[in-house]
Amino acid sequence: MLSLEGIAKAFGATQALDDVSFTLERGSIHGLLGENGAGKTTVMRILFGLERPDRGVIRIAGTAVRITSARQARALGIGMVHQHFALVPSLSVAENLVLALGAGLAGGRQAALQARIANLGAELGWPIDLRARVGDLAVGQQQRLEILKALLGGGQVLILDEPTAPLTPLEAADLFRVVKVLASRGTAVVFISHKLAEVEAVCDRLTILRRGRVVMSGPLAGMTRGRITELMIGAAVVAPVRGAARPPGAVLLDLEQVSVADRQRRERVHRVALQVRAGEIVGIAGVDGNGQTELVRAILGQAPASGTIAIEGVASGAAHGATRERLGVIPEDRQQDGLALALSLTENLLMKARNQAPFSSCGWRHRARWQAQAQALIADYDIRASGPEQPAVSLSGGNQQKVVIARELSPQPLVVVAVNPTRGLDLGATASVMHRLLAARARGAAVLLVHSDLDELMQVADRILVMSSGHLSDSTWPACTREHIGALMLGEQPAVAGTGTGVGAQRP
Amino acid sequence: MSARALRSIAVTLGAALLGIIGVLAGLWCAGYPPATVVPTWLAAAAGNELHLAGSLQQAGPLLCAGLATAVAFRANALNIGVEGQYLLGAITYVGIGVHVGHAPGVVMIPLLLLLAMASGAGWALIAFVLERTRSVPIVLSTILLNFIAVALVSYLIEGPLHDPVTSAPQTEQLAPGLRLPVLIAGTTLHVGVLVIAALAVVLWVAQSRTVFGYELAVVGANERVARLTGIRVERVRGLAMAISGALAGLGGALQQAGVTHYMSDGSVSYGYAGIAVALLGQLHPLGVAAAALYFGMLDSGSAGLERHLDIPHDVGDILKGVVTLVVLIAAVVQWRRRPWSGP
Repeated sequence: MLSLEGIAKAFGATQALDDVSFTLERGSIHGLLGENGAGKTTVMRILFGLERPDRGVIRIAGTAVRITSARQARALGIGMVHQHFALVPSLSVAENLVLALGAGLAGGRQAALQARIANLGAELGWPIDLRARVGDLAVGQQQRLEILKALLGGGQVLILDEPTAPLTPLEAADLFRVVKVLASRGTAVVFISHKLAEVEAVCDRLTILRRGRVVMSGPLAGMTRGRITELMIGAAVVAPVRGAARPPGAVLLDLEQVSVADRQRRERVHRVALQVRAGEIVGIAGVDGNGQTELVRAILGQAPASGTIAIEGVASGAAHGATRERLGVIPEDRQQDGLALALSLTENLLMKARNQAPFSSCGWRHRARWQAQAQALIADYDIRASGPEQPAVSLSGGNQQKVVIARELSPQPLVVVAVNPTRGLDLGATASVMHRLLAARARGAAVLLVHSDLDELMQVADRILVMSSGHLSDSTWPACTREHIGALMLGEQPAVAGTGTGVGAQRP
Repeated sequence: MSARALRSIAVTLGAALLGIIGVLAGLWCAGYPPATVVPTWLAAAAGNELHLAGSLQQAGPLLCAGLATAVAFRANALNIGVEGQYLLGAITYVGIGVHVGHAPGVVMIPLLLLLAMASGAGWALIAFVLERTRSVPIVLSTILLNFIAVALVSYLIEGPLHDPVTSAPQTEQLAPGLRLPVLIAGTTLHVGVLVIAALAVVLWVAQSRTVFGYELAVVGANERVARLTGIRVERVRGLAMAISGALAGLGGALQQAGVTHYMSDGSVSYGYAGIAVALLGQLHPLGVAAAALYFGMLDSGSAGLERHLDIPHDVGDILKGVVTLVVLIAAVVQWRRRPWSGP
């Protein structure tokens, strides 16, 4: 019913899309796969009227249409749910609807609009409380609201951009259910994802983009994971291999009775005890917002905490600050916390080494040595950039993460703290991040990996603990099943602990 | 020089040109064809040694205020208080100077300049301390401190420092020994302008070659990553504010010592103009120097327009405003046009 024919789009010298053609059919769930920078998001922005194609036609039911604005896309029945929701947290659900769709509508029509969305929600099994404040809703509920909003234009086409990234496994399962219901009612759903398992679970058709070109478009049936991966990245990804467990070394990161309260004095972390030893990766699993962020902030000295935090044997106190600066930190939000986006790669890569010989002496920078070091790191960590003077902002997400990792891990820190280090990265970049963490472990670093992706955690972690409502569980991995861990993440206390069988079979 | 730097220079020059063309078009509509306006303007701005000296002298305090603003802005400390810090430096030099007129200038001039820098820095650090201890945004406190500085200077001029031989609100004249030597006889181009130009070069070297200059850039670009990588953000910002205030105070003192030799209630301060100069120069010391020279030439050029063609000299101010606006708009457009990179 909707087809793209020969779409091309260039940004400056970069050909983002080149002769992209595929068809979305009524009632099908169409997976759109590709690495970061392959052009997925650009395709969708064109479809939703946020970018104009340089060449090519979009046809709906055979008629060529020009989509020049999001408003027009909505009128054509195309709805899109972005990764970052367009909601105002301080307003109610009803007020957000008015803001998004009905500004200027008379009261009666607004009421009709609200009734429609409530009905639609009820039909899909998503009860919506119009008076609730959006900020009080869980992320999953906010996403439901966004999906309902996107469907109000008529629901011919629904574009979901990485919809499961913020969801718990249960919420994701519910999303898949609804997506299937929508497809059965005739909506063409576009499902953008990095996760092959999800694509296999819901999609019936598939388009794979690589470097702005369509390399495959057709039914999912008959495609193997290996084949899909190969098409996406042009070569098989080497999965991270953990290697044999090492005898536990000295405790390098030691938390005792650590509690953290937020600004409103609510306790976000409750008396956590945690030891990470040399040569092991300890994973902390959990749904976002259960205290992981606060725990890491406490370790980094960014939030006041009670209890003791000892790094490399130095407990909180006068000498602690200098020890803390030796930590290798891969922060959750690389753009906010990991990089100075406006500055060059050289300036980003040498932030930690800025005062060290041979890069500086007596407060003076040796600029040639800075440049040479940056070049060496760029080569070492396979950062794809035009040169060390390129500003960090112009790099893709995966390469930005490599810059952070190169800066943080190249001084060979004894303790590494990483938070969701693969979020938003494609398969190749994810594998490279995990390889780096495993390499740190292999040379004897203590690695604390806070991660909401359980599959990836199970690939690399020696132990996994679960954080839920500020409490940290005992080690669950490899003793427990995936289901057991999932239950802990949702705050349930599984009746029988540690009855794991067939754990290995769960590993992807 | 990187492609980035070249492009930002090209954009700034383009904006300056665009602004000039716009104002010329406006003047043409008002009956002054460019064929008469442009030569008069150029002659008055740089037509001969004397006029050029006038432009350079005018550029001096603008450059000092511009550098002061740029240093703070680079560390993301939005010091709008250069105006007040400049006035504090000026009144410090004159206020103490009129009382120590008989001391030898070789000793007193450097001493008074240092005191002026200290008072400017102190005034700026009030805003910094308020931000650290009471979370008052620097942008607000510095604006309010400007008002206080203006009132304080008025009070001193009309009260303790008032020249008893006149009823006009003004201080006594500085003793000749406390005035700066003039470089070209018959003009007001004084040694202080050279000092300021040298400072621009020093700042440029410091910014590009020292670790502190680098830390300034990192703090300005992203405080959170600066903190994470162990940069003492508060120290860097505090130093930036102190340097900024000291430069502003020096600018005020040099202007009194070199040009006016006394202070009156209507003393022109260059603090606010310094913000435009800094932004036009893209916060780069050499860019700021170019912008200050451009503004200085606009000032003396438009004074010439008023003398010869009876065009109000406000035209120069309009042009400054237009050019600064166009440059800021161009910067925003450039930022938005950057290749959109997917998540």
